[in-house]
Amino acid sequence: METAPSVSCLPHNAKMSKAKKVLEDAKEIENPELDLFDKGVSTFEEMPGLLNMTYITRLTLSHNKIKSVPPGLANLVNLEILNLANNHVEDLPLSLSSMPRLRILNLSINRLYELPRGFGAFPALEILDLTYNNLKDDSLPGNFFMMQTLRALYLGDNDFEKLPADIRNLKNLEILVLRENDIIELPKELGELSRLRELHVQGNRLTILPPELGNLDMLSNKAAFKFEGNEWVPPIADQLKLGLSHLQDYLRSEAYRVAYNRYQTNKPSVPPPCADKAKKISRIR
Amino acid sequence: MKPADRSPGIPTLGPITNSNLAQRRVHFDEGYHKFDQYDNVPLCTSKNTNAANNTTLMCVDNMSRETMFCSKCGEGFEPQEKIVNSTGQLWHQNCFVCAQCFRVFSDGVFYQYDDRKYCEHDFHVLFAPCCQKCGTFIIGRVIKAMNASWHAECFRCEMCSIELADTGFIKNGGRALCHECNAKVKARGLGKYVCHKCHSIIDDQPLRFRGEVYHPYHFNCTACGVELDANAREVRNRPGLAKNDTNELYCLRCHDKMGVPICGACRRPIEERVVTALGKHWHVEHFVCAKCEKPFFGHRHYEKKGLAYCETHYHQLFGNLCYSCNQVISGDVFTALNKAWCYSHFACSVCDQKMNQKTKFYECDLKPVCKKCYERFPKELRSRLRRQHEANNARRAPTPVE
Repeated sequence: METAPSVSCLPHNAKMSKAKKVLEDAKEIENPELDLFDKGVSTFEEMPGLLNMTYITRLTLSHNKIKSVPPGLANLVNLEILNLANNHVEDLPLSLSSMPRLRILNLSINRLYELPRGFGAFPALEILDLTYNNLKDDSLPGNFFMMQTLRALYLGDNDFEKLPADIRNLKNLEILVLRENDIIELPKELGELSRLRELHVQGNRLTILPPELGNLDMLSNKAAFKFEGNEWVPPIADQLKLGLSHLQDYLRSEAYRVAYNRYQTNKPSVPPPCADKAKKISRIR
Repeated sequence: MKPADRSPGIPTLGPITNSNLAQRRVHFDEGYHKFDQYDNVPLCTSKNTNAANNTTLMCVDNMSRETMFCSKCGEGFEPQEKIVNSTGQLWHQNCFVCAQCFRVFSDGVFYQYDDRKYCEHDFHVLFAPCCQKCGTFIIGRVIKAMNASWHAECFRCEMCSIELADTGFIKNGGRALCHECNAKVKARGLGKYVCHKCHSIIDDQPLRFRGEVYHPYHFNCTACGVELDANAREVRNRPGLAKNDTNELYCLRCHDKMGVPICGACRRPIEERVVTALGKHWHVEHFVCAKCEKPFFGHRHYEKKGLAYCETHYHQLFGNLCYSCNQVISGDVFTALNKAWCYSHFACSVCDQKMNQKTKFYECDLKPVCKKCYERFPKELRSRLRRQHEANNARRAPTPVE
């Protein structure tokens, strides 16, 4: 053990055998949960037989160097959790969204510029983590907001400026994270998401909020609403300083409705893109 | 000594058809057709004793003896002979005997009938009626009913055995019944109730009170005194107490005003079991889950913002669903980052490795990230997340969190 070198220094071949060993052990005991994180894997070819292990329910491939996901992954029809966090994924197969039991898909810290056509067809997806990619408004396919089963959508650390009104279709959405994007405006349809209890919009370019957001319950003990790091118009900034209950009351007030209408005709100037994102490793091509 | 030998002129028992007693005997035989009548006749018209009825033994002088004769044999009296004097008539001592058995009256008690005197035994044999029930002679009060004679204490209701002599009776199917039993029998035949107070049939709705049924009009409202109808309510003074003899009756109006608990759902008074929850009273079947509307029937309920929920819907609506599996958490709950997990489902969101309360983890967008994974995050992301945390802490420090 004392000779074990730090993980990144291991020779490539040694890592390959590590992944293989895990696979062989897993096949022997038919373990339905497969941990292949931090195995230095860069392609699925390095994991022979994996795509035939149709009994597995969880596949964790975090902290590898996988660039491309093969369409054959969709063979794993029993998969419920697929974790590809912190890889080098640039594109995804169309077949992914046909996986019948996939509930949790983690694609955070990858290099996605766009999602495949028809990506929103997942029949059972509940948690979708796309944090820290390079997604922007036109990266999303037309059916993206048709995922009725979605409970949590993590889009933090991307490049979105606006969200479409279609977001109202995510009726079961409880968590929406838009932290550190370039959001200029939130759609008023967010106010229709009656189950929404977490909204993270820190570090964007927001100035005003649609009054409909007052419909959401920002004060329950399960609620988390994060508005910091935006250039709010003074009345909103003032209420935020006082607390969320004040903000909620203000958004519901007639005074704000009037003020909001005024902002609609006389828009506050859009702040410049705030954070310098050039340093993001997801930019690497 | 046979009295017959000594008294040749023994009168035979004459026709007695005209006497009162004879008349009554005829009546016994014919029977009374008015069934609710009874008769109370002192039968013994003259039960006499020597002392009570001036029957005396006299000694009179010889002069007057010559003009005196025995009422029975008509002979004169010897000097010095004792003479029986009874009700103005004179007798030889040997002639003063029962007209039937010719024996001296024991204790001087005799019964007189049509001028003839009988001993107690023979009088009964000849004239006294027999009780239909016990078959013995009736002395004193005779009840004539149902074509027979009865001792007063033998004539009873065939259902409840109460004495009928003083209350009257009703013939029902060949049975003598008291008014009450008769009404019961009659009502049973009609499928109706009999009022426990007046014992007549209740044609309309009966009023139930302390376990019996009544005509409502026998009662008045305890509060306002109005005559009751079938809508009247019986109120337990001590709800839950099985004993009902303290129950009281109220008219519907007063009953509704009396602070009887009102159901929070249907707004009607609760007369059966009361469920008290959420600061209100409820009919058991009206205390339901605000989501699925099924009654709890005593099962555990969860309260939230003035509403009650069943376990499933409380969790579904208010949280204790596992962030990972989205099922109601049945065992131990792991709570962190505004979320809850099944104890075995709490894991790092990046490497999916299980964590427990001792595992140190970081927070990113309110998701748990284990230390190892966090350290594998891009450096610039970590520094941004750190700055954010510091800013949050700085912002929160001066003013208390809402």
